[in-house]
Formats: sequence, structure tokens, C-alpha cells
Amino acid sequence: MSRDAGHLPNLGGTESGGPPAKLPRQRRGTTPQMRGRYPDYDVLEETAHWDEATRLVVLDRVERVPPIRFFDEREAATLGAFCDIVMAQDAEPRIPVLAMVDEKLYEGRAEGYRYADMPSDPQTWRQVARMLDAAAAEQGADGFPAAGREAQLRIVERFSQGELTWDGCPVDKAWGVAMRDILSAFYSHPWAWNEIGFGGPAYPRGFARLAAGQREHWETPPEFELDPVRDVNERGLE
Amino acid sequence: MKARLARGLKGAVRPAGNDSALLLDPRHPAAPRPEGMRRYAAAEAVDMLIVGCGAGGATLAQRLARRGWRVVVLEAGPFWDPETDWVSDEAGSHPLYWTEPRVIGGSDPVELGKNNSGRGVGGSMVHFAGFAPRFHPSDFEVRSRDGVAADWPISYEELQPHYERLEHELPVAGEHWTWGDPHSYPHSPHPVGGGALRIMEGAERCGIEMRVGPVAIANGSFGNRPHCIYRGLCLQACKVGAKGSPLVTHLPDALAHGVEVRAECMATRIEIDEAGRCTGVTYFHDGKERFQAAEAVAVAGYSIETPRLLLHSTSERFPNGLANGNDLVGRGVMVQGAPQVGGRFPEELRMYKAPPPEIASEQFYETEASRGFARGFSIQTVGPLPIGWAEHVLADGHWGQSLREYMRDYNHWYVIGALNELLPRPENRVTLAEETDSNGMPVARMDYSQCENDRANIAFGKERMREIVRAAGAQDVLEIDRYAHLVGGCPMAGTPESGVVDSDQRVWGVPNLFVADGSVMPTQGSANPALTIMALSARLAERLGDKRVGTRGERRERVSA
Repeated sequence: MSRDAGHLPNLGGTESGGPPAKLPRQRRGTTPQMRGRYPDYDVLEETAHWDEATRLVVLDRVERVPPIRFFDEREAATLGAFCDIVMAQDAEPRIPVLAMVDEKLYEGRAEGYRYADMPSDPQTWRQVARMLDAAAAEQGADGFPAAGREAQLRIVERFSQGELTWDGCPVDKAWGVAMRDILSAFYSHPWAWNEIGFGGPAYPRGFARLAAGQREHWETPPEFELDPVRDVNERGLE
Repeated sequence: MKARLARGLKGAVRPAGNDSALLLDPRHPAAPRPEGMRRYAAAEAVDMLIVGCGAGGATLAQRLARRGWRVVVLEAGPFWDPETDWVSDEAGSHPLYWTEPRVIGGSDPVELGKNNSGRGVGGSMVHFAGFAPRFHPSDFEVRSRDGVAADWPISYEELQPHYERLEHELPVAGEHWTWGDPHSYPHSPHPVGGGALRIMEGAERCGIEMRVGPVAIANGSFGNRPHCIYRGLCLQACKVGAKGSPLVTHLPDALAHGVEVRAECMATRIEIDEAGRCTGVTYFHDGKERFQAAEAVAVAGYSIETPRLLLHSTSERFPNGLANGNDLVGRGVMVQGAPQVGGRFPEELRMYKAPPPEIASEQFYETEASRGFARGFSIQTVGPLPIGWAEHVLADGHWGQSLREYMRDYNHWYVIGALNELLPRPENRVTLAEETDSNGMPVARMDYSQCENDRANIAFGKERMREIVRAAGAQDVLEIDRYAHLVGGCPMAGTPESGVVDSDQRVWGVPNLFVADGSVMPTQGSANPALTIMALSARLAERLGDKRVGTRGERRERVSA
């Protein structure tokens, strides 16, 4: 049962590239790639219990995929592939991370700070696209999208370690700027809440069952049968 | 009227001199409405013009209005309507933060915005977690006791009565508090969630005591403010009206006593006459420049915007900005180290439930020579929501499948954080950048670098938190380095050579200009600053109102309305 923690990456879990074996298919509602720990949980069934302002904001994320207006076609192709790699979105349904980031940049929504040795966030994003394409070109590919999954993973690993080149600017901060926007888009989406079993907006209803192992009546138990020792053996990780 | 109001506060001690909780409309208890608010003409020199409507500005306004002062507050952000403006959602709460451009530098730059900068009537307390501890008596004399930083020109005893009164006004709920100056809270402690209970047990096994509270959340209904519903979204502004912020704790009473809050007004200059007295404030509203005249001005824009405004208010008499003859404005700006340690537990703990502020320890608050560094830290619960938790997982080096796997495990995690007292350093400062904002005003630049004492303090605090989480039974541990809170930048001091304001928060060199926010703090302790910011403003109002400090620089009589 999920009381074990052996599936976690730091403890030797899922580094082989895919999600853990036997991670359930989603039976109710939608999760990204239709897998998740809570296959019978759909937070979107609770919208009648949310306040109106919250419902409008959250449902808009589900119902409206914004058009790409900030990035050009090439940037969008490169950064779309990058978003898929860093969020491990290898199949539909996908949370439209790049479209959400593009809208934020297009509308000029800012974070409230800029590092003195960095350009603005929108310029940093364009630079990330150029860096990824340049790294792919070094490996003989015509741009990041054409590099193939294994090469893309290697390039992103180098990016995450601050090892790509961007003359004069700190690449590790560019990684932070990009990932902050990506994580904020992905985990603001109710499909991601379904995947992780997050209770979602709870106003005006609130939460009442606060103790360890307790659930509200609309929250469902995790269903994740994984013997970590067997999982590691089956996947040939030892 | 008074008797009828008092009857409305069943079962609670009625705070003296503040009817805010009863003045709120029970149908919309999370904020007052500005309709019917008193308005002042631009040419009418009001008694006090306050810049910034957060913890410092709103408290000062309410206290002075109670004494009959004519008060206008300029606030850069909006006057919130919680029903329509606030959402129970992490990403959707972005409009609560100060997201105007700012530049950050130094070797340990501090990310501004959502973590530490508010905008709008109510200020940062609208999205603060809710912890409302007092400073310890030792905080006011760290130079004398520990040989670091600076002593305050006032003592703990001068703030103590204001702490006590504000704890009734917010109100604060918690266990009897044994650290610092021992005291009790007006409201009993809230129930805590499963995660916090595990942490309390783990801490006890390590010989560390944690107590419930102190949080500015009424335990029970309070006037027309309802009970907390434990929805866990304190940092996204309390739509319920249960968590204390100036919007519900001081503004209703301030408005009832004739304060005008002028929202969406960005102050750009404090104007000075030939005699060196300030005459009012120039500000932008709807893209147009305007001016409000005043007998006295109090700046309450917090540690970035207050120095920015003083530095930008140059004149022939003050070519380097106000109170900046000794190049001290903006220096000594501080943040607290706020590393967080998360533990993975066998049971589902669902840390999104219950208010993030649950339990705290101040056992490591003061200097202990054997640790090898000066001053200390406190430990508190955090309870990040999914986006906040994803930033933890990323900081631990995970992306792709491994990040998704940790995120799917969200419900099994619980997170605690430290607040380390980092020391004020002159090279940590707010200056004006070359870049300008939409009003043509140079934006603020904040440079921040840690010293060795800071690094040792943070490392020691993280080690204690790892011990607690392990002793509580965690199967896996993640940690993240971050900062919290902003104070300092316009420190109070006994001489103009060592500070920007005097012990009455009056700007050295300008007799009718005051600073009424966290920027006046010479040191920051390991306590969340909100309650102390309010207490400083309450004390300032008392001194102004009791004629001990005249705004003309001499003692003078005031007639109370």
C-alpha cells in the first residue's frame, strides 16, 4: 500500500523514465496522461460547492486553452517539447502548460522582481528557446523538437545543472524562471489536483476532518498497490 | 450604541477602543465597504496623511482617528471586495502581491512578490500566514547582550501594553506562551491537524517543545467575523473573514471615525517647503498627478517602497532624498532565513487542510554560545499548497517523472520551516535603479548578501528541523532554502548618524515626517513581524495623540473631537 515510501525517487524509485508500474488508470474525471494515485477522485465534481469567483477562475483553466500569442512558431515548438519533457507529459491528455505560460507573458503578468544580471522574464523565455535549439544543434539535430527524446532528456538535464551556455547570463536562474512558470501552470490545473488527490477550493464549505488518515466525504482513498522491492526487481533496476 | 455593540460580542473580551469586528457587515464580513466614507479636499491640509494602508498605516490611521485627527491614507493597490476579488486558489491569488517591477541583486538575492510583498488595502497581512508572535525582550538589546547589530532606542516594556491590546483586537489564539516575556492569549488554541501532531511528537522526542499558536485567527466567532473553516488558504487571503488583517481588525473602526482611504493612489514624492517641513504628498491616480496637503505625513510603504519614496523625494535642501544626509536610507534591510524541511509519512496527512500556521517553538530564539553563532531562530509549521510544494520538489533537484512521482505523493507530506534571525548589514540596501515604472519613477533595487553568522544560523536550524522530522517518523526528507518577511531599511536610532528615524519614528531632519512600518526595525528577531509593526504604530499614535510628540517638532495641544 501507499504506506511504503520506496517508490520515491530519492529512495531508489522511478528513475527509469516511466511512472511506477501499476500506477492506476484514472477511472473518474481527467488526469494528465490518465494516470494517478486517486483513480476515483474528480475534484471537478465539487464545483457546486465553490464560490462563484473561484469557480470562474478555475473552470476557465479547464475549458479554455489560450492561443499562442507571445511566442513565435519556432519558439512554441521548442518550448512545447521542453514543457513536455520537464513535466513528463508523454501522452494525451496534456495540461496545456505552454499555452498557459504564453498567455501570462502575453498579458504582461509579472512576478514582482528581476535579477540584476538577467533580462526580463519574457526575454529570458525567448533565450531558453534559443539555448535549447543551440544545444540540439550541437548534437546534429535541427532544433530541440527534432532531437529525439533521449537527446532532449540529456539537454534538459544539462540545463537543470546550469550547464548550457548563454553568454554573460546565469543559466541556473533561467532554469528557475522557466520552471517557476511551468510548475505554477501545471499545478494550478484541476487535472493535476485529481492526480495528486488535492482537495481544491474549500470555500465556503471548509474542511472538518483534519486528523491523520481522515478524509472529507468527497475525498477518496489512494489506490496505489506497489511493493517497492518487487517494483524495482520487475523493472530491472537492481 | 456602545452597550448594544458590547452585547454583540458574546463570550469574547471586547477590545477597548476598537469596534471593527462589530462594524463589519455580517453578510460580507471579510472587508468593510468604502461607500459612505468621509472624503477630504486636496487643498485641505489634513492632520495626518499616511502613505500605505497595511499593518503600520491602517493601525496608525485607526488610532489617530479615534483621537479626532483628520486622516487620509493613500494606498497604491485596490480597495478589495473579497467576494469578487479573492479566490480560493493558489495561482489565482496573484493580484494580492506587489508585482510592479523591482530589481534584485547581491550574492543571495531575495525574490520579491508573492512571498513578501502586498498591494492593496490591508497590505501584506491580507496574505500573511497568520502567525502573530511578540518579539522577545532580548530583541531590543542585541548589541548589549550579543555584541551584534544594534540596540533599539526603545525597550520591550514600551511595546508590551500595545502587544497585549492588539492581541485582543486581532484576536490572537494560542496556548500560554512560555518564551520571551511569558503571556497568555485571549483565545484558546485551535485544533491542529494530523501533520502538526506528528511534528509535536517528533519534537518532543528531540527535547524540543512546540506549542499551538499564536495565530491571528479568532477561535470562535468574533463580533460579526465568523469562525475559521480550516480551508488552508490563509496565504491566499481569508475570504471567510476569520483571519486578522487590517481590513477586518482596524479599517472598519477607522472608517467609522472619519478616515479616508484613497485606493489606487501611488505616492511618488513627499513635498518639502523652504523651512524644511513637509507639506503633503504628490501621487498618481488614473495616470494623473495629484497632490494632497497635510500637516504631517507618515510613510508606511514597508521596507522596499518606503526607502524608495524617501530616496526619490529630492529637493535643493535634500539633494540625496529625505533623511539621507548620512546615506542611511535603505540600508540594513533584512529578511529572515526561512528554510523548510518536509517529511514523508505513512499516513495521508493532507497538509492543505487546517491553517498553515499551527504550532511553533521559540526554544532556539536567543544566543547560545555553544552553537557558534549569535542569535537564533524559531520553528513553525508551513503547509504548502500544490504549487508551493512543487517548488520544494524542484529545489531538491527533481523534474520530469521524478517530480511527478513526488507530487503524486503530496498527501503524505508535512512541512515545517524555520525563521532565522539574519543580521542587518549596511551593504544590504534598497536603492533606486535606472529603470522607471509607468509613472516615470525609478524602481527599487534591493541588494542582499548573507554573512557567516547568517549561514551558520540557517545550517543549524535546518539540522534541528531534520532531527524533528526524522524523530516524527518521516520516511523521506526534502528541504528548500528560502527567505521570509521584510523589515528594516529606515532604522530607528538614538542619533541621526546611526538611523533614519528617532525613537518616535520621526524622520531625522524633517519635524513633521514619520515612518510607520516595519522598515523602522533595527533588528528583526525570529518572530513574524506583523504584530510588532502594528504595536509600533499603536505606540506612535499614543505618543502623537498624547501630545508628547508634536508634529511641528514641539509639544502642542490637540483638541480631540
